[in-house]
Amino acid sequence: MLKTGIPKLDDFMGGEVPPGRSLVYYVQPGVEGDVFGMQTLYHHLMQGGKGIYVTISSAPYTVREHFNEFGWDVGKFEDRFIIVDAYSALVGADSDERYVVSDPENIGALDETLSKAMEELGSGLVVFEPLSTLMDLCGEEETLEYVKKWKKLHMTYNNVFVCNFTAWPYAEETLKQIKEELFDAVVTIGGIAERVIFGQYFGVSKVDWAEVKKRSMLFKVFRPTGIRVYIPKILVTGAYHSGKSTFIHAISSRAVSVDRLGTTVAMDHGRIDHKGFAADIFGTPGQERFDPILKVLGGEAMGVFLVLDSSKPMDFVRAKQMLETARAHGLPYVIVANKQDLPDALSVDELRERMKVPKSVPIVPTVATEKKGVFEAFETLIDMITEVK
Amino acid sequence: MEYHLGIPKLDKVQGGLNIMLIGPPMCGKEIFVNNIVHAGLMNGEGIILVSTREHGEGVLKWFEQSELDIEKDRERFGIVDCVSRTLGMDVSDTQNIKRASSPVDLTGIGVKISQFFEQFYMRARIQKTRLIINSLSTMLMYSNLQTIFRFLHVFTGRIKVADAIGIYVIESGMHDEQTIATLKQLVDGMIEIKEENDRFFIRARGLGSKLTEWLEYEIEGANIVIKGD
Repeated sequence: MLKTGIPKLDDFMGGEVPPGRSLVYYVQPGVEGDVFGMQTLYHHLMQGGKGIYVTISSAPYTVREHFNEFGWDVGKFEDRFIIVDAYSALVGADSDERYVVSDPENIGALDETLSKAMEELGSGLVVFEPLSTLMDLCGEEETLEYVKKWKKLHMTYNNVFVCNFTAWPYAEETLKQIKEELFDAVVTIGGIAERVIFGQYFGVSKVDWAEVKKRSMLFKVFRPTGIRVYIPKILVTGAYHSGKSTFIHAISSRAVSVDRLGTTVAMDHGRIDHKGFAADIFGTPGQERFDPILKVLGGEAMGVFLVLDSSKPMDFVRAKQMLETARAHGLPYVIVANKQDLPDALSVDELRERMKVPKSVPIVPTVATEKKGVFEAFETLIDMITEVK
Repeated sequence: MEYHLGIPKLDKVQGGLNIMLIGPPMCGKEIFVNNIVHAGLMNGEGIILVSTREHGEGVLKWFEQSELDIEKDRERFGIVDCVSRTLGMDVSDTQNIKRASSPVDLTGIGVKISQFFEQFYMRARIQKTRLIINSLSTMLMYSNLQTIFRFLHVFTGRIKVADAIGIYVIESGMHDEQTIATLKQLVDGMIEIKEENDRFFIRARGLGSKLTEWLEYEIEGANIVIKGD
């Protein structure tokens, strides 16, 4: 069984990809989708698996450099990682690889080289760099025929077969076959565009071995580290001096605050990068005189942290009111029961009772000054935001 | 939106236009491209240059040697360098040079173009962008016509949506008529260059309301001079 190593994607596909199955990353042109195949391969190698990477549009040293950009040193797996070089001969360059396709425009030659590489490797993962490039070189119909053949071959070897495919405007029938028929699983990777592409998402559109969980996730590609599920806006609100800024600084890899005399007067902003998830968080000021900007800050948020000073129950009403003012009701939210280190801090159960909060709303105890509990709160909120209902 | 190409007498074009710049070898197409880049930078636009003939640093060096100061505008100049990695040069991306694996790597080239569009429009809030591909002829040496057509089809569409302009350089005499005719389907206008008796002429069609006359020009240093102007 194989995990892709892409945050949330395995959850959407029933946990993992069974041996002998095929998966296509179906990528809209202009969207950074090639990283999906690379991350899947690197993750598999890290788990002790074997892998083949078929390069058609890049020299092998460029492929290795590209992996390195993400901090993925494939050099340490040379005993179980093979590059099939279907590029060098295309530009008349020499190649140091053991498996070199003599004539990349002849798909039969690629088939022959790939078969030999698979024979050496045995069961593992085979990743094709843009299948679309192969299609450009060898023709649509011929490539589709060979994909069918390779699928059978991979079933024999119990391989997982993964292709990146850039969906250039090919014949409709070709695109239909790729997107609906040929592969056991299809992950669509697209861009959110207005005048330009300003956001990227992925979602599963087909899985043969499990129930499809149709949910799209925004993502960003980071160098190093690779693909992160991206939450563009999480709101942090709560009463004056409940510890919102401290919470944001504790949870963020970098953060800034607009404050005066020790209290936030405009907003806090932080960037979180944790366990495959990246998020931008925005903190509101706690004083009532700043309430007019709460609505602005709350707009387009995908989730909320409501930070409470656990030792000040008199502020709880104000905290709930802020949640309403920010128009954040209806969004997933987590109550951060902060300052749990103070002697008169209420327990989670006491807080729930005092605030009359239903059990469905998680309350996470924290001590933000010591970073205690802050990432548990983040993981809880991320689970709620990305949950497939 | 209106754009100025920086070529005397063929200067103004409307946003959303895709233009083919076609001419024989050694007619100064490179100078035309660099003038178009320079005019855009001077107008505060974002420039995306896909370079398949010169590596990124080489493109910047031309401006330096030509004493066209673009230093303060560099952050609005994005170069997709398709040469360095093909030649095996050990260079990394910089703030304004992104390296594609090779001219075959249309997927990678497309991603880098989109990233520059996003960088200019969303982050730098630049409304006007010009995309220049120099040249389609090199790309056609590595990929077939259908492949380049599909690639261009996507990006000419994006130019229209973004109200940008796209300029695609191609060598005349290097491709058959069918190739040129196929690619012409994707553009709205042409800048044509011809050579007669060692003299060079330029004309435009489809950029404004009518076909311009053939205008004789000379290259003087980094400048294009229309004769009799």
